[in-house]
Amino acid sequence: MLWVDKYRPKTLDQVIVHEDIAQNLKKLVAEQDCPHLLFYGPPGSGKKTLIMALLRQIFGPGAEKVKVENKNWKIDAGSRTIDLELTTLSSANHVELSPSDVGFQDRYVVQEVIKEMAKNRPIDTKGKRGFKVLVLNDVDKLSREAQHSLRRTMEKYSAFCRLFLCCNSSSRVTEAIRSRCLNVRINAPTEEQIVNVLDLIGKKEGLELPSGFATRIAEKSNRSLRRAILLFETCRVQQYPFTSNQAIPPMDWEEYVAEIASDIMKEQSPKRLFQVRGKLYELLINCIPPDIVLKRLLYELLKRLDAELKHEVCHWAAYYEHKMRLGQKAIFHLEAFVAKFMSIYKGFLIATFG
Amino acid sequence: MPQDIRKWFLKPHDKDKGNGNASSPATPAPSNSEPVLGGQESSGRRKTSKYFATDKQKPKDEKETKEIPAKRKTKIDVDSSTKSPPSKKIHKVDDKDDDFVLPIENKTSVGATPSKKLKSGSGRGVAQKSIGTDEVDEDDVKNTESPLKSSGRGHGGRGASGAPAGGRGRGGGRGGFMNFGDRKDPPHKGEKEVPEGAPDCLAGLTFVISGTLDSLEREEAEDLIKRHGGRVTGSVSKKTNYLLCDEDIGGVKSSKARDLGTTFLTENGLFDMIRASNPAKAITEEESKKSAEKIATSLPKKSPQKTEVKSNSSATKVSRGSVKSGASPAKRKEQNICQSSLTWTEKYRPKVPNEIVGNQSLVNQLHNWLAHWNEQFLDAGTKRNGKKPHDASAKKAVLLSGSPGMGKTTSAKLVSHMLGFQAIEVNASDSRGKADAKIYKGIGGSNANSVKELVNNEALSANMDRSKYQKTVLIMDEVDGMSAGDRGGVADLIASIKISKIPIICICNDRYSQKLKSLVNYCLLLSFRKPTKQQIAKRLMQIANAEGLQVNEIALEELADRVNGDIRMAINQLQYMSLSMSVIKYDDIRQRLLSSAKDEDISPFAAVDKLFGFNGGKLRMDERIDLSMSDPDLVPLLIQENYINYRPSSAGKDEIKRMNLIARAAESIGDGDIVNVQIRRYRQWQLSQTSSVASCIIPAALLHGQRETLEQGERNFNRFGGWLGKNSTMGKNLRLLEDLHVHLLASRESNPGRDTLRLDYLTLLLKRLTDPLRMLPKDEAVKKVVEFMNVYSISQEDYDTIVEVSKFQGHANPLEGIPPAVKAALTRTYNEESKSRMVRAADLVQLPGKKKTTTKRIAAILEPPDDGVKEENEDKLAESEEENSSDTEDTVDTTNGEKLQSELRSLNSKGIGVQLELKGTENSSAKKKPAGRGKGASASADKKGGRGSGTAAKRKR
Repeated sequence: MLWVDKYRPKTLDQVIVHEDIAQNLKKLVAEQDCPHLLFYGPPGSGKKTLIMALLRQIFGPGAEKVKVENKNWKIDAGSRTIDLELTTLSSANHVELSPSDVGFQDRYVVQEVIKEMAKNRPIDTKGKRGFKVLVLNDVDKLSREAQHSLRRTMEKYSAFCRLFLCCNSSSRVTEAIRSRCLNVRINAPTEEQIVNVLDLIGKKEGLELPSGFATRIAEKSNRSLRRAILLFETCRVQQYPFTSNQAIPPMDWEEYVAEIASDIMKEQSPKRLFQVRGKLYELLINCIPPDIVLKRLLYELLKRLDAELKHEVCHWAAYYEHKMRLGQKAIFHLEAFVAKFMSIYKGFLIATFG
Repeated sequence: MPQDIRKWFLKPHDKDKGNGNASSPATPAPSNSEPVLGGQESSGRRKTSKYFATDKQKPKDEKETKEIPAKRKTKIDVDSSTKSPPSKKIHKVDDKDDDFVLPIENKTSVGATPSKKLKSGSGRGVAQKSIGTDEVDEDDVKNTESPLKSSGRGHGGRGASGAPAGGRGRGGGRGGFMNFGDRKDPPHKGEKEVPEGAPDCLAGLTFVISGTLDSLEREEAEDLIKRHGGRVTGSVSKKTNYLLCDEDIGGVKSSKARDLGTTFLTENGLFDMIRASNPAKAITEEESKKSAEKIATSLPKKSPQKTEVKSNSSATKVSRGSVKSGASPAKRKEQNICQSSLTWTEKYRPKVPNEIVGNQSLVNQLHNWLAHWNEQFLDAGTKRNGKKPHDASAKKAVLLSGSPGMGKTTSAKLVSHMLGFQAIEVNASDSRGKADAKIYKGIGGSNANSVKELVNNEALSANMDRSKYQKTVLIMDEVDGMSAGDRGGVADLIASIKISKIPIICICNDRYSQKLKSLVNYCLLLSFRKPTKQQIAKRLMQIANAEGLQVNEIALEELADRVNGDIRMAINQLQYMSLSMSVIKYDDIRQRLLSSAKDEDISPFAAVDKLFGFNGGKLRMDERIDLSMSDPDLVPLLIQENYINYRPSSAGKDEIKRMNLIARAAESIGDGDIVNVQIRRYRQWQLSQTSSVASCIIPAALLHGQRETLEQGERNFNRFGGWLGKNSTMGKNLRLLEDLHVHLLASRESNPGRDTLRLDYLTLLLKRLTDPLRMLPKDEAVKKVVEFMNVYSISQEDYDTIVEVSKFQGHANPLEGIPPAVKAALTRTYNEESKSRMVRAADLVQLPGKKKTTTKRIAAILEPPDDGVKEENEDKLAESEEENSSDTEDTVDTTNGEKLQSELRSLNSKGIGVQLELKGTENSSAKKKPAGRGKGASASADKKGGRGSGTAAKRKR
């Protein structure tokens, strides 16, 4: 089993990184009622872990007995019926799904699933909770329509179900929804915290960590605890015992993006643009989300760029990311960004060096 | 008036033309263009002429009739002597009543002016504005009077090539839009004045055009010749009078022409011929024609009763081809109505086989076949058994095929009629579905299937009063139209053919249609070919003569050419045109069919080529939109794929500028994508032009120029849009990744999102799965990897997915360095262990007897197996309700299900942790349903239910 999963805290009491939040949540559910919750924070900060622990706190160990199911919904939308299929993770007391997986028809899923849950409300009586919990992942990727349809049902069926929403950025969740939830911000763990966790895992695994090794991993992890642990294990697979100057292997796709960035910096020509397009396609084919590609590409470019240009390039990256969200064919916008960058950078080079 | 908008676009060009002409008086002006134009005019005018039939107008008209002939003559003199630019015809004035007032006032001053546009005014005085100086007035007139587009074209007598663009191109220099193949543009394109001569000055002459001409596009030259009554053929023969060529004397055509002694003619020579024809005839003809016009046009205005007079006049002038009798068509129409209200297509349907246009040999074949049918199939089969068996190759039915309008149905009917058969026609309007089993027995009751009844000869003869000699033939029309409603129709037809006692003639358009694949084996195939244009023209000529319509042969040939072999359409067009004009000229036909000719399919590649070509910047906006709309899905993708390859002619050698332009183009393509989302997702189809502007036209406008290759060895053609392929690969990988994701979730060890799985987990997973194989000894490594796979429910497919998704072009294959022996060992070990594996994801279980559906994900676990039994029973029940005829099917199903169930149980007893959830069994039963559905033809209510669940089942799979 991977360490990330092995050492994941199962209960709120085991949580060490966001201990304060965990304790607060515990108190929250100790009183009989529980509001809708919106967890937001960068990836790898522990949102999911907290949610699972919280569910266990509410419903007891039964919450861990989940089954995977492919749910089908048939929705009557006026003239036609829409068939939707989505993977759900459910236990007796909760259902977890990522409605954004079905694209822009996500609103039907959201509506249906809540109504369904409201219909079969648990008849469990013995002082147990009279509600089910719906965990929605990636709420920030939900379409506008889905979010709008969510807000009324949230109130209407609040007697029977609670929503635990989970997303990276609360800015893409509509205000209406934010105001109906208790917002819980989960910060990215600090590097010290990450180092502590890594040390702990090292101890439990009986490994010897050279001094500073954990720190280096923490630095590379971009303050994502999950990534730090995964990197840690990758290093372990690669080479043990550790040496203090052991190279920490990069993620495959990050490496590839870095390559693209250096390609772009080396030459700005239609020919190079064409090659870059091929490489971008390669990333997309390998299922790397385009916004992540763009973000990482910007990061790599900024590392190599003159301070003068940074501001402008950031502006354009934001501009094209926005367009990418509005559009459908991500490659067009990625390519447009690269073309724009080449055009700016080439002008800059010639203006500076003649 | 839909042309109104067009006309504003047109105007500047016309103006240009006028100016160009005026500024170069040295060019030999054609003496005049009256006859042609006059002819056209009147056609347009007639429609509106009723507006002018007012009393007030009449006296004026008559006054004009006196004045005009004189005037005209002087004018002509002036024209030919001074070589002033040819008169523009601005004459469409009369379309609007408002214009009316103006001319009347001006009329008095007419005498003093060197009037230009008499013919348009002809008898009406409308256009007879006082015109002092040509150019100025011309422009004025145009502004105020708004000539119809058609008038502009007629004028284009000079240039008008097939596309209006051709004529226009001449105004703006070489803006040629039609570049035919590799033939280069004429060197002096658009620089020469094209003469206009007497309408039939080239009559009877045959031309062949070879090579590039001096100033005319080949199309234009062809037009010119045809307009003047000449014939243009493709290759040189004895009949060829002239070979028209300017430069390259040396091709096949010219050598052959030399052998045959054909006269060579240059473009200038042709112009001279046309010009020469003119002054001689022109004056006399003009005069008489004018007077004829006067009479003709003024008469109807006086009183509708005068039709007699008018028809007289028209009779006399027929030979000139300049009759303008406004009322005669009307009168003729009345006659027609009296006779019959038939359309011409019905009226002139051939009455005897000889009248059928083209395909005579086929008609004969059909005739023979039908004539010998009885003796071949009936007699030989029944009475004279001893006689030699008939030809094995002989077919009992015949299948006529060919595109619409060629006379298939007509031939079939005619031939059968001629041989004394009674033809019974069954076409798409009749129900031709598979017969009920009962109907075979007799004709009582249902009339659902007429075919079967007909074919059962006993029934028929009973109906037919036992008249022995009344033979019947069944004509099955439009057999390729047997579709949804006629289920099983083709199969039934074949069965009918086998037992038939009467001949069957089947007719279809496309004999290669998938639906008819089985039918063609039982039929004698007769494929109608398109009649030649001469054949069609001949027939059209007969009709025109019968209707008293003035058409010249060349014009009809053109019509025949344009309709692409469809006689019916040609006749319809002819009838339609006859409603508004009694004389039909070459240009009228061109004009009428122009729109349909323009709708030719243009491939997306050709469109992209044009948009990006050197002349891309000179295309008009609507042309560009047309091009990009030729395939609104594909063209943007092609543009996106290829725009980088073009070196914009506007940037020259400036690389920075080029990068800039590319960036702008890329941004615009992105905009196009956004607009497209609005169109598709929110159905904002009104944005489709915006989308084509953003995604095609702007990038093309920025970057058009020369294409260059970016990679070595690449061919310098536009690539196919790569997005489609990449997108589908991406979709496939996403699906595979989702499978892996589900398995991981089902293992209950981990709970990552899909993106997280790809971004963070995958590197480590790959390492855990491959590194041991590389570093550790074989057995140990395999054991370790399989253990890991089991913990996370990773299947062999998932293993491949992980490897596949981690592959990057230009990077080492993740499986590199693993000896094949180890890989094989891994597979073996994994498969061995699969017997005792605790599996949580149901689709990982391979059940014997159940087809493995790899792409389908089935839900998992934790449901007791007896649920499955219940579910299955329900299914069985539902199925037997729904399907009463397919008992056998059902039993198979149940046994299958039981087998499955028992296998499941046995697996369980073997201690394998298989827990199949409902979906697995539902799947197996669903598989059967569609098969059952085919049977459900009888009970419609049942059918509906069956279909619903059937499709659901299909989708699930």
